[in-house]
Amino acid sequence: MLDMLTAKPVPGAVVPSWTGVVRYLHITPRAFLPMREMPELTLIAGKGIEGDRYMIGREEGFYSHKPEEGRQVTLFEYETLMALKRDHNIDLAPAEHRRNVTVAGVPLTHLVGRRFWLGEVLLESTRLSIPCRHIEEITGKAIFDPLINRSGLNCKILQGGTVRVGDAVRNVQ
Amino acid sequence: MNAVPITRVRTIVDKIEDGGRDIKVFSLVDPDRWELPPFRPGAHIDLHLPGGLVRTYSLCNDPADDRRYVVAVKREAGGRGGSIVLHDEVKVGDTIGVTLPRGGLDLAAEVTRFTFVAGGIGVTPFLSAAAWLKRTGRSNFTLHMIARGAPPLADLLAPLRQSGHVVIHDTSVGQRPDVGALIGRPLSDVALACCGPDAMIDDFEQASRDWPADCVHIERFVPPPLPVDPDAKPYVLALARSQREITVAAGQTMLSALTDIGIDVPASCCGGICGSCKVDWLEGQPVHRDRVLSPAERERSLLVCVAGSAKDRLVLDL
Repeated sequence: MLDMLTAKPVPGAVVPSWTGVVRYLHITPRAFLPMREMPELTLIAGKGIEGDRYMIGREEGFYSHKPEEGRQVTLFEYETLMALKRDHNIDLAPAEHRRNVTVAGVPLTHLVGRRFWLGEVLLESTRLSIPCRHIEEITGKAIFDPLINRSGLNCKILQGGTVRVGDAVRNVQ
Repeated sequence: MNAVPITRVRTIVDKIEDGGRDIKVFSLVDPDRWELPPFRPGAHIDLHLPGGLVRTYSLCNDPADDRRYVVAVKREAGGRGGSIVLHDEVKVGDTIGVTLPRGGLDLAAEVTRFTFVAGGIGVTPFLSAAAWLKRTGRSNFTLHMIARGAPPLADLLAPLRQSGHVVIHDTSVGQRPDVGALIGRPLSDVALACCGPDAMIDDFEQASRDWPADCVHIERFVPPPLPVDPDAKPYVLALARSQREITVAAGQTMLSALTDIGIDVPASCCGGICGSCKVDWLEGQPVHRDRVLSPAERERSLLVCVAGSAKDRLVLDL
């Protein structure tokens, strides 16, 4: 992974503007339950994550009554967790933001409507995530305001596969 | 697809055990034995029971025991019916929806000693607190258990009795103890807590009146209403199209009041930014607390998840 982040571009090649890494993976089977950290997740194209609340056919999430293909998998920036601590002195653990994938080095707000690789899985973002009071109820932390405009990315899964912690996140070339 | 939002934690009754005379102990678990939402020592949850009853019970187990919610319920033949449903109808394997845990004891690190006063089944929050204190090496606490005859939940109390943390006050063979004598004089490193019938709570409040308020915790069998904004006032919400009028209680959201009468307004963030619950208003003076509507939009619309009313009556186009 480090090689990918530090590799020098081949002369003449098109260089992707960013390359990131999967830091944490989480799922939960039902609304309100704690997210559980996983070493890997299985993503099914057009459906969701095996074992997660928003997997199509399972529908046990807080928003499952409002189906949306962009809830198949959700991402969150690790850098936001650091910013919450730095700017607001809020300790928010990766399990608490309730998105499935915590990535580092990935400019999520730039990816709306774009395709990108999460390890071997191809995603297409549908919209930015919106914070919700529900998360304050669950965590007991006043994080609604600080998360506005940086509460993650909703994506649909175009090509499924296994995603592991440490996998690269890359732009589609 | 679920047609309605999921608003409760779904649990399954995993075990029902005998807790002594007229008491049953219910262990609630996630259907997949997943971890349940965390709780503070002695926190309580609402159980949504068959027939639409909602009843609040303290959790008895250690917060570290994160796969179960354990509640002990005394059958109250003359009560409001919740305990009767639990005793007579609920069986192992049944599904019960519960709320997220609320409240609980503040076992602050600067407090080194705790005095708990429990009346009968009111011992439940202290079983949770005692387990947490013992596990974390803070064993300087005393639980005064006031009961008529054999104390309830003897099996759960047994380890605490063996370790010398419990003083039993059996009122079938003696007077009810003087609560003032049990708690003593105010000390800076001691915290007090009481849970029991109203008469005992009254005695405890009187006996602890000279203690700093933040060192005293009271847990009632029937929880008091949730605190509201002291400046909030109730108002009438008139629904022009459906020709109905409802009262929005002080501190209640318009969304909640509408949901209560079965009106399904699409809502998502519940914090005034996603705009999904936008509704037009026709008369009155809304108090806008959203972050998305422009001044021009506010002339016509509001977000029911956060908006209030500056006047006694507000008319919506619903």
